[in-house]
Amino acid sequence: MIVEISHFLTILATGLFLLSGLFATFINNTEYISNLIARTYSHAFFFLIASFGLYVWLAATDNFSVLYIASHSNTNLPIFYKISSIWSAHEGSMFLWIVFLAIWGFIFNFKISQSNPLKSLTLGILSLVIVGFLLFLLLTSNPFQTILPIPPINGADINPVLQDPALVIHPPTLYLGYVGFSIPFACAIAFLIKGNSDIEWELMVQKWSIMAWIFLTIGITLGSWWAYYELGWGGYWFWDPVENVALMPWLAATAFIHSLSVSIKSKKLRVWTILLSILVFSLSLFGAFIVRSGIIDSVHSFANDPERGLYLLGFISLIIITSLILFVLRFSKIQSIERIKRFSKESFVSINNIFFGVLIFSVMLGVTYPLIYEYLFNQKISVGAPFYTAIFSPIVLLACIFLIFSVDSKWSRRLKSNLLDLPVVVSTTSSAIITLLFLYFFDINDLYMNLLIFVGFLIILRYMFEIYKLIKFRKYINPFSAIAHMALGLLLISISLNSSLSTERAMSLKIDETVKYKDLSINFQNINLSNGSNYDAIKADLLIQTTDGKSVKLSPEKRRYFTRGQITTETAIHASPIRDIYITIGDQLDDGSWVVNIQLNYLIRWIWFSAILMSFAGILLVITHKKSTFTFKKSIS
Amino acid sequence: MNPTRKKRIFNILIVLLFSISGISMILYSLNTNLDYFFTPSELNEKELSSSKRIKIGGMVLSGSVKRDGSEISFVITDYENSINVIYDGIVPDLFKEDSGVVALGYLRNDIFEAEEVLAKHDENYMPPNIEINNDS
Repeated sequence: MIVEISHFLTILATGLFLLSGLFATFINNTEYISNLIARTYSHAFFFLIASFGLYVWLAATDNFSVLYIASHSNTNLPIFYKISSIWSAHEGSMFLWIVFLAIWGFIFNFKISQSNPLKSLTLGILSLVIVGFLLFLLLTSNPFQTILPIPPINGADINPVLQDPALVIHPPTLYLGYVGFSIPFACAIAFLIKGNSDIEWELMVQKWSIMAWIFLTIGITLGSWWAYYELGWGGYWFWDPVENVALMPWLAATAFIHSLSVSIKSKKLRVWTILLSILVFSLSLFGAFIVRSGIIDSVHSFANDPERGLYLLGFISLIIITSLILFVLRFSKIQSIERIKRFSKESFVSINNIFFGVLIFSVMLGVTYPLIYEYLFNQKISVGAPFYTAIFSPIVLLACIFLIFSVDSKWSRRLKSNLLDLPVVVSTTSSAIITLLFLYFFDINDLYMNLLIFVGFLIILRYMFEIYKLIKFRKYINPFSAIAHMALGLLLISISLNSSLSTERAMSLKIDETVKYKDLSINFQNINLSNGSNYDAIKADLLIQTTDGKSVKLSPEKRRYFTRGQITTETAIHASPIRDIYITIGDQLDDGSWVVNIQLNYLIRWIWFSAILMSFAGILLVITHKKSTFTFKKSIS
Repeated sequence: MNPTRKKRIFNILIVLLFSISGISMILYSLNTNLDYFFTPSELNEKELSSSKRIKIGGMVLSGSVKRDGSEISFVITDYENSINVIYDGIVPDLFKEDSGVVALGYLRNDIFEAEEVLAKHDENYMPPNIEINNDS
């Protein structure tokens, strides 16, 4: 009964969102109409939230008459996994996606004043996007389907690798990021429809865009961290198609927030900013399409369903084509006449925007090339890490060099840089010395890795000088930019050192046997059987001693879950700032020994720390963002 | 032709030149870095150099898995042709006999030296291009 109410509320919400969208698009904007749109949206939103609330309650109370809950939950699960089972598969996660989309719109409705000339239109466009997704949910992926007349006694359980705290929060965070870019997108479209270039939509969406970017950054980082400790492969990034479709919107969003700040500061790059806002949102949708159509094989992909793929493809095409037609029609009105000065801050941001474009294009090509290639040549191929490394290393390097130039540059003015400036000389020489020391002591033989370490240190030191100038001479710096870019430097250093220094070896060990690996001696102490609430496990005990006498005990496991019979690896990790000792256990051999895999992952924690530091810069910007900059009174001059 | 138009055409040409050379560089690096995917039967029909990294997909032949220290050898088959694979490392949790597998590595003297062995994280996964007849 409750599921029918929940279903009905969603249908009702769909109708109201459609109304709100139609009001905005087809009727001239009077105050009465804009109040009507705001109110219709709020009502639709409350129906949708009520529907989702009921659905969460159904999942929490093990209502297995709902097909989706019966196939993805189980009475033995703790309550938070029962709830998170909602986003463990396609239908429920789509539902959550839509709810988040509606929440962004609701906060927008609440925060932006009625007098804002773009508000009603933006809300209307958002409503139409929500309707598109709601129809997708109701027509192709209905989570409200029931098993009647006799529901099963117990559910089929959530996939054990997904029974993990990080996986409870990773998808929601990522979704908040993806759908968050619907706000700048809808604003850009509203701006294009209005066709009045005096309206500063960029200022209005800056905070929203950065918030969405923060969620996207944290979401991707959480996914990377989860994959590291849960899957037992030991890396932080695998260039899996699904990781790539999250990376593309991230790259586009990063380019977008840079371009956005140029547009706000100096009224330049406005055309480009609009294109990027469309690109970011389209790439978010493209990600949904790739993951949910089953068109590409990946560990993440949901079950294959061509109908869903077609719907999403149609929906994305509709959005992109209408946006671009609108863009072309309005192009003459929004074009900026002023040219960008050479060697100004804008020029460097523009150049780096091109590099971002190249990276996005390359990742897109890597994701879609196997499909194109198979269609043309009837030969299956896959594109892996070597391609992405070959593209990313030189491009990121070039982009960083321009970033370093931009530190000294000014808005709308030519850079008057003296190459013999003290900060430039000191930071360059000390970075070079540090890089050479690394090269000498750790024997890093990859040229790009050395260069990336060099620019990484150069970025950090350059900004440190700026911070010093801030403290000493009160010279203004942009603190968010400084933190985020220093985090980028740190990221480059840790990625390069991680890929150059990390090692791995598989060995077979008998009980009581001791082996030496690098500076470690590994003693295989014992193996025993243990039981969890819904699995049994083999647990190995290894004592690891370093040459300086420290010892740690690590206990990797192999688990077999009862309900699905699925076997999972539980890694044992000794984490430290310098390196992780990462151990997994394999099968038993005929002679009674066990296969044990040991990895030494250098500086891997710093990779995630850098990403978190980057999003911290964003958080800082959002909380200190001046109130006056989002209200509209000042910005219309 | 007036000078502004001349300058504009020149700029467009520069942009075109850069884009074309950029795209061809990306495509070149794509073509040198991609991995071909073969089933054992397809492998039989082709001559391959041992320096090319490839992927082989199929089923693990039952009874073929042998271990020696940390090294494991097994046979990937599509029930028409098969290939011997050796690998040094831990095979994934879902690796078992009569189950789908993908190996990435190099073919040397009719033995496939794998760098990486993957099993799809799905019990019902079947590698592409293989039709299973239930008798085998």
